[in-house]
Amino acid sequence: MRIILIFILMLHRIATSSPLTRRRALGLALGAVALTSRPSLAQTAPLEVVATTGMIADAARVVGGDHVQVRALMGPGIDPHSYRQTRSDIAALARADLVLWHGLYLEAQMEEFLLKLAARSPVVAVGEAVPESARIAHEDYEGRYDPHVWMVPELWGAVVDRITEALSAARPESAQLFVANAARYKDDLARLNIYAKDVLASVPEPARVLVTAHDAFGYFGRAYGYRVEGIQGLSTESEAGLARIRDLVDLLVSRQIKAVFVESTVSDRNIRALIEGAAAQGHEVIVGGELFSDAMGTPGTYEGSYLGMIDHNVTTIAAALGGTAPSRGMDGNLSAGG
Amino acid sequence: MPLELVGSRPAPDTDSPLSIRGLTVSYGEKPAVFSVDVSFRPGQMTAIVGPNGAGKSTLLKAALGIIRPLSGQVTSLGRPLNERRARIAYVPQRASVDWDFPARVLDVVMMGLSRELGLLGRIRASHRARAVASLERVGMAGFAHRQIGQLSGGQQQRVFLARALAQEADLYLLDEPFAGVDAATEKAIIAVLHELRAEGKTVIAVHHDLATVADYFDRVFLINTTAIAEGPVAEVFTPDHLQTAYGGRLALAQMGGAAAG
Amino acid sequence: MLWDALTLQLGYNATLVTLGAMMLGVGAGATGTYLYLGKRALVSDAISHATLPGVVLGFMLMVALGGEGRFLPGLMLGAALSAGLGLLAVTWLTTRTRLHEDAAIGAVLSVFFGFGVVLLTVVQVMDAGRQAGLETFLLGATAGMLRDEALTIALGGAAVLALVRLLHRPMILVAFDPEYAVGQGMRLARVDLAMMGLALAITVTGLKVVGLVLIVALLIIPPVAARFWSERAGHVVMIAGAIGGVAGYLGAAISATAPDLPTGPLIVLAAFALFVLSLLMAPGRGVLAAAVRHLRFQRRVHLRQGLLALAAGQPVYEPLTLRLMRHAGLARADGVATEAGRAMAARARLDERRWQILRSDPAFEAAAARYDGLTPLEEVLTDDQIAALDRGLGPEGTV
Repeated sequence: MRIILIFILMLHRIATSSPLTRRRALGLALGAVALTSRPSLAQTAPLEVVATTGMIADAARVVGGDHVQVRALMGPGIDPHSYRQTRSDIAALARADLVLWHGLYLEAQMEEFLLKLAARSPVVAVGEAVPESARIAHEDYEGRYDPHVWMVPELWGAVVDRITEALSAARPESAQLFVANAARYKDDLARLNIYAKDVLASVPEPARVLVTAHDAFGYFGRAYGYRVEGIQGLSTESEAGLARIRDLVDLLVSRQIKAVFVESTVSDRNIRALIEGAAAQGHEVIVGGELFSDAMGTPGTYEGSYLGMIDHNVTTIAAALGGTAPSRGMDGNLSAGG
Repeated sequence: MPLELVGSRPAPDTDSPLSIRGLTVSYGEKPAVFSVDVSFRPGQMTAIVGPNGAGKSTLLKAALGIIRPLSGQVTSLGRPLNERRARIAYVPQRASVDWDFPARVLDVVMMGLSRELGLLGRIRASHRARAVASLERVGMAGFAHRQIGQLSGGQQQRVFLARALAQEADLYLLDEPFAGVDAATEKAIIAVLHELRAEGKTVIAVHHDLATVADYFDRVFLINTTAIAEGPVAEVFTPDHLQTAYGGRLALAQMGGAAAG
Repeated sequence: MLWDALTLQLGYNATLVTLGAMMLGVGAGATGTYLYLGKRALVSDAISHATLPGVVLGFMLMVALGGEGRFLPGLMLGAALSAGLGLLAVTWLTTRTRLHEDAAIGAVLSVFFGFGVVLLTVVQVMDAGRQAGLETFLLGATAGMLRDEALTIALGGAAVLALVRLLHRPMILVAFDPEYAVGQGMRLARVDLAMMGLALAITVTGLKVVGLVLIVALLIIPPVAARFWSERAGHVVMIAGAIGGVAGYLGAAISATAPDLPTGPLIVLAAFALFVLSLLMAPGRGVLAAAVRHLRFQRRVHLRQGLLALAAGQPVYEPLTLRLMRHAGLARADGVATEAGRAMAARARLDERRWQILRSDPAFEAAAARYDGLTPLEEVLTDDQIAALDRGLGPEGTV
């Protein structure tokens, strides 16, 4: 705002003065503009980073601190499997100093564009930081993997490292700061991992079945010893088949599973159909809670951060399936009733 | 408001089964029928004739409301035509219909009773009997269960006529009933029409063949976009009138023959 | 597994979907018949594609008003409104401009649908959760069908059928001869509106089952298939409803048997299979029946021609004729007539000559119209009439 006012004043002076005064006034104006556009403390402008998912943006903000300006393309409630970039997205991506995307075919509709962009600008697929040996392979397609690696904090640590690398490469003078921030963040991740293990282990063995709207919890299941079943497949683009619903209803009834879970980015219709199907066989199933599967919660809240997202998921799952979990989560930060 | 043409506008004619005043119909900017006034006489057979594109079919369709006129009023026995529809039967051109439609001859004739039956009226034996009687009148009784696509042109025309007959109307409007039919059918149809006239009904038909007008019809309405003349055949078929209607296109011999008959 | 599916033993969800799809199919088949017979089948394509912007706008409006964006009746209302607008647009374009109906349909279809797709990209950045799911309106998503939805479909289908029953007569009349209908005082615009309204109701009801892209198939294929089976309009409507219902039932049942089978497309394929079956097997208008009739006719013609040739003492040239005659025992391999052949040839010639006499006699004009070269005179005249005819024949006379 100040810049604009100064500019207008300068222009007014220039327009109404003699040639000599005009040149001097112009020089002053340019100088003023140059000064007022700089951040008050740092010497250089913050790194413009554009991230696709909110989880990546969150990590980038924590690691980069004041030195980065991060914008996330996908907010809460947005499904990355089906997201198509808009024109303003393309403009932002093209202008950015660094683009961080997930890869592993999560942003299926954007993949082609991002790969093309990678030829001209710094574009890093941070999800690929998870080594192939640690990835879950796709059932049907060769060379494709389950992209939902953020569901396990341990795996996400590798991604944070890749983000740190990318930021450091783009802004080497701040690398030290980035590494320090990342180390602190990974400590938090380690704590979260321990919390998750404890709380999820409190659920009795036979009840460790997680039924959700789509297959977003593969890594979760593997890490914490749960059987995971999604109505839709790895991507929400696949249509759920009637046979799948029937198989899951049979599973719910035979294992006497008490709760199934809806997701914030996916329609709850299929889950409700499951519940009706089980009810028709005389078995009552409730919705154990809403999980953050492909996106985080409302920005500004605890659940709107990566730590909050995982904290919420783990706490909700454990509580609904018969385990013990503190109702306000790991550090008592979860919102009540969440 | 169309300009007042030569001749005065006739007063509302409570005797006329079809009275048209100031009818103008146009496709886009080109008028097909312009400010036509005509009152058809009851109990007579009147032919509507004129050269190709003269607006004969258009006149009939506009009178019935099938085409929207630009202006004009149509009355029947002094009341707006809409109030008299129960007494009016229309026989359209054969070509206006897709004959591959899944319907038997009897089904088409029964359509003539749809106004009476309404939405849910049940079809009784009496209705069927009327339809069969109409078919007998046109010589098609044996074809009642034939699919209409299997009929010849003449047979199709007879079925259309039977449909109109089933309505038991007072006024019959036919659009080129003799176009493309065989000689036997033409004879059969004209016989039925003459029977109708004998019963006191009114028949108005768009007719394409000048040579047979005098034999078949009592009166004729000559039109070429505008009304030229209406009256008994001999009075209308004068060289002047025919010249106005057909221009120089009419062969002298035809003019002479028509004027003489 | 398939048997279980067909007898509704595959569980609650599958049963719900199967019965819902069947109801939809019956309603769609019946309604589509009037469009098909009135040659306006493709208007249903415009209607279905025009629902998309309404669905998305409905969603956006409900979210803006603070509600749950995915409230199905609200979305269906939006769909109906925008499809109605699309219909009006088509009507306006065909009546006010010189555009032909299919051009108008194409224009409306693409503009509305494109607008809908653009709206979808706007929605995807909205901050309302769970909007993923609007795209299921394109191809349907039956697996997650709920009891309420199935009930809505059943009620919608039943309402449509009741209206069809009520409006059958005027719709058939308008489809067959709209000019005559107007002459009878029928309000064409109203009947058209009713027809299109029913198509719209079916489209909106079927959005979740087969999606807007495929609903047009369910409106068109059953009547086309039914047309092969009957020559009476009322029967065509009922058969089309039956075919649609069977297609819905079969397609849904099959999609429940194996994993990853999409229900909507399977229903359409089932309808297509029934169409092919009708095309081939229907007596009367079916391809096989027509082929058989043609072969029989060809055989009759060749035999007749062969016999007449023999009777006139001419050799039989055509190999097909010869083969047929040999097969019938009327001739030998070298073309010489057998005993039976000579007898039949003489009869054929007599018949032909009798026909010639009949046709030249003005008294027999009506009967003469039945001459087609094959029909024997015995089918047209009585015995004493034929006797009277023979008296004019001369010494060659009767057999």
